[in-house]
Amino acid sequence: MASVAGTTSLCMTSMSCSLKHTQGRISSVNSVSLPINGKSFPSLRSRSAPRFRVSCVAKPETVKKVCDIVKKQLALPEDSTVTGESKFAALGADSLDTVEIVMGLEEEFGISVEEESAQSILTVQDAAELIEKLMEKNA
Amino acid sequence: MFSFLGRRVNFEMNLCCFQRNFSAALPSLVPVSLPSKMETHLWYVLPDEVKSETLLNQYLEILSPYEKESIYRKHGHQLKKSALLARALVRATIARYQTNFQINPRSLKFRKNIYGKPEVDWQNDDDWCPPPLHFNISHTSSLVACGVTVDVPIGIDVEEKQRRIKNNILAFAKRYFSHEELQLLASIADPEIQHQEFIKLWTLKVGQEAYVKALGRGFSAAPFKTFTIWTRVETKVDFQHFEALDSEASEIVVESSDDPENLTNNWKFALLDLAGSHYAAICVEKDNSIGGETNAPMSLAVWKTIPFVEDERVSGTGAVVAIGGSVKQF
Repeated sequence: MASVAGTTSLCMTSMSCSLKHTQGRISSVNSVSLPINGKSFPSLRSRSAPRFRVSCVAKPETVKKVCDIVKKQLALPEDSTVTGESKFAALGADSLDTVEIVMGLEEEFGISVEEESAQSILTVQDAAELIEKLMEKNA
Repeated sequence: MFSFLGRRVNFEMNLCCFQRNFSAALPSLVPVSLPSKMETHLWYVLPDEVKSETLLNQYLEILSPYEKESIYRKHGHQLKKSALLARALVRATIARYQTNFQINPRSLKFRKNIYGKPEVDWQNDDDWCPPPLHFNISHTSSLVACGVTVDVPIGIDVEEKQRRIKNNILAFAKRYFSHEELQLLASIADPEIQHQEFIKLWTLKVGQEAYVKALGRGFSAAPFKTFTIWTRVETKVDFQHFEALDSEASEIVVESSDDPENLTNNWKFALLDLAGSHYAAICVEKDNSIGGETNAPMSLAVWKTIPFVEDERVSGTGAVVAIGGSVKQF
């Protein structure tokens, strides 16, 4: 399963297929590499090019719910940018916030998160993926 | 406001402009004596007292590119500022503890041990023996603290006293604290006091975790649940008149349900009410050596500081009130 985060999201599995274009949001990263079949293409240096990354993708709704819970816990303004890639630490979540967020997620999604798994959550995306994995187990 | 921090593209450019226009260097650091083996030093900064944008820019100058990048990534001015002050504080503080010659705070390198605890990566010159300094930083958006010891590891944590808990405190304690601690919290009727005790307990636990990480050990899977932190209060009794004198000698002890002997006798704690606004937990190793006084109070010196600008020794003042553990301020 591959996904391309940033400007487009391309999911190549049978489970869920969502093709999402975000117009006009191209992050100004200056290198692009697109690993396919384990081979890395050479980096293209470009001042404004889309940024690609391979990761397992969670449903956008899950990511959105996590973002909402995080914004609420950290008392962030409604218009603040919290995305799948946002790191909890960068958003100002300290250990107590992280624990509270996990509790909020457990309540929202009806799951139970193990301590070890909770420690591996660094981004909103990580949380969303873990949630879906746990929900699958419950189903 | 940091003008440069909002725009990544202009970041490098602004820094160059800054270097070009900037004439005065940071003042030299005033050296400080190393703590003795039995002493703990605590330095803290109140971000609200650091208003000069010039000064903040100067702090940025002494950081590594990695640190700058990490600060840039934080969302919002307050987070960026406290993160910046944390790095500036640790660099300035460590650099000051050189009494023989000057260390440039910018030249310090840091690394993390396997549990993610930051330590100084001393660049070894052949004739120079680096000081056996240990440090730990903790900060909130309104207070940045750095604890320093010699020879023994240190863990600290600071939390805002008024920090709100979104979840129900007892539900939280049931999930994350030990059974005894849950019972203790549940027995408190007044919600404000319960809240206070919760924050104190959390601060102690996080401070302890920082200490254990400093030892190069991690906790097991459910760290907080297997340790109970008690405050054992010794009350002096006047036997002649049968009344309790002030119960000031309290000791914070840790009981482990997992591992009764191994780690838990090795540390001592202090819990402070710091600057009126924060709880601070300090966790250092006990001196269990022969002749060492295992139950000696923690000898603590505290400074409020603005790195490179001023210090104020505040130990023994109202800014530092010991509320748990046996502490002797000097």
